[in-house]
Amino acid sequence: MPLLVATALTKDYPMNGEVVHALRGVSLTVAPGDYVAIVGPSGCGKSTLLQLLGGIDTPSAGSVALEGTRLETLGDSALTRLRLTRLGFVFQRFHLLPVLSAAENVELPMAEAGLPRDARRARARELLRYVGLEGRAGHRATQLSGGEMQRVAIARALANRPALLLADEPTGELDAATGRGILDLFRRLNDDGATIVVVTHDDRLAGEAGRVIHMLDGHIVDETRGAGR
Amino acid sequence: MNPLRNLARHPVRTALALAGIAVTTAMLLDMVLLAGGIERSFAQLLLGRGYQVRVSPRGTLPFDTEATIPGARGIAATMRRDPAVEAVAPIVGSSIHARRGDSLVTLFGYGIDPAAQALYQVTAGADLAPGDSAGLLLSAPAARVLAAAIGDTVVLVSRLDPQMAVAGSSRTVVVRGVVRWLYDARDQASVGTLVPVMQELAAFRAEDRVSAFAVRVTGDADSAAARLRAALPSLEINSVGAMVLRFRERLTYFRQLSLILGTISLGVTVLLVGTLLTITVNERRGEIATLRAIGVARGTIVRAVMLEGGALTTLGGGLGVLLGLATAEQLDRILTSFPGLPAAISFFVPDARSLALAAAVLVITGIVAGAYPAWLAARAPIAETLRTEAT
Repeated sequence: MPLLVATALTKDYPMNGEVVHALRGVSLTVAPGDYVAIVGPSGCGKSTLLQLLGGIDTPSAGSVALEGTRLETLGDSALTRLRLTRLGFVFQRFHLLPVLSAAENVELPMAEAGLPRDARRARARELLRYVGLEGRAGHRATQLSGGEMQRVAIARALANRPALLLADEPTGELDAATGRGILDLFRRLNDDGATIVVVTHDDRLAGEAGRVIHMLDGHIVDETRGAGR
Repeated sequence: MNPLRNLARHPVRTALALAGIAVTTAMLLDMVLLAGGIERSFAQLLLGRGYQVRVSPRGTLPFDTEATIPGARGIAATMRRDPAVEAVAPIVGSSIHARRGDSLVTLFGYGIDPAAQALYQVTAGADLAPGDSAGLLLSAPAARVLAAAIGDTVVLVSRLDPQMAVAGSSRTVVVRGVVRWLYDARDQASVGTLVPVMQELAAFRAEDRVSAFAVRVTGDADSAAARLRAALPSLEINSVGAMVLRFRERLTYFRQLSLILGTISLGVTVLLVGTLLTITVNERRGEIATLRAIGVARGTIVRAVMLEGGALTTLGGGLGVLLGLATAEQLDRILTSFPGLPAAISFFVPDARSLALAAAVLVITGIVAGAYPAWLAARAPIAETLRTEAT
């Protein structure tokens, strides 16, 4: 059974008095364990597609089903809960809470999910170790480098053991060497069983994926194989 | 999402907001204390010696005018016949003089019955003994004016005859004690003798006149006052409770002014906290959209923003209470120095209820002020905000 099924997604939104057709009937299926990279020029609709897949925006037409649940049938609370427990998000600009430490940022989704404090702390420690930041747990987000912040953001995305990890340009704000570390981390995550959909301009990152989906003008125009599974 | 940590992100802005809230809180607190303080202080003053009923000439309040009550002994005896009456304190009040060298010093003279007195507390020396017609009590300002100490001799001179402009009879007395007269204005030079002595000096003796009576009763003071009124219809007889009510009516405009100023200060607090939180929420739109994206519920976001408002007002309010109490003390000092006001009266009387009321109103105000920014934060469209933040 596929983990994620997107069917005939279209997304139109107004901009400066005109209607922008961001997506024009996109269909996509993601199986458990897939590592999918979505590539294409700026404005082709890849970030919009990721937002629809993650239930943080609603399609103008079409549907998205995660583990058999159609997202458009869910109310705001149920959709929020689904994002909290079944999806993990990584953003280009990390978006950590600057007033919290690395560990507290990782604990945040678990606290929201109602996990007891001891369990949260243990899981945060485990995740920070996984991303190579066990020594930085107590540092505020503002005291971390870009690469470290993105690692914390990845640990945060994994906190509630999501079924699917969605990443939007995760290396976009990082230099090449630091970005390489993030690529390796994604590779390792997928090897350990995580299902990943990543939107990227970074050819190296796309090359790591098992499936590379090419978009242009709101359409999927091609799908190729990457080096990954 | 600790609200204090969020507030610490912009320390200067937060400090300025706290200062603003502290000032408005101080104003609110002072208005609350002022609205009820003088009334409470007035009641405390009147009940200071436990006498709950006042008797004065018809149509007046005690010492409101120079009117007096003739036949004091008979009236006192009538009142004592009421089973609820425990003590009747006759009070004479008149301006008199004392000799100091070649000149005369004007004083206020009280005639009291030391066995039943509602007017003073001895602070040094001894009280007058019953029948001590040669004894004198002095206020500290009178002691200063007369340069007299306990054991000294003072010559009291009766009121000047306005027709003849010459002094009347005089009486030599000995200072027994220094007292605090409860109803004296600040720096008022007052002396006290037994009632008959002061009656003689004030030319009240012939008709046995007194200025007022204070009456101590058991049980309900209003009922006792009503019975005494029925028995002595030519006199004005009120319980302290009734007098406080009349006083309250006189203070209606004063209370309304306090209410208006208090409301304005609350309005300023709402605007201040609301503006600050709206700015903060707008600055953190991306962060809030991210939180919503990763599954943080709207309720959590709303609670966090409103908690920030609550934390701001709690901290600012705490500072404001200290500031308000300090300014109330200063203002009280200024207001109670007005001539003719009893020094013991206070315009600002802190009490737990007023403080709790001001604190509760303030915290609720802070939370309410956070409601709009919280609503803004929770309603922001996630995808659109993230798109905007990315460009």
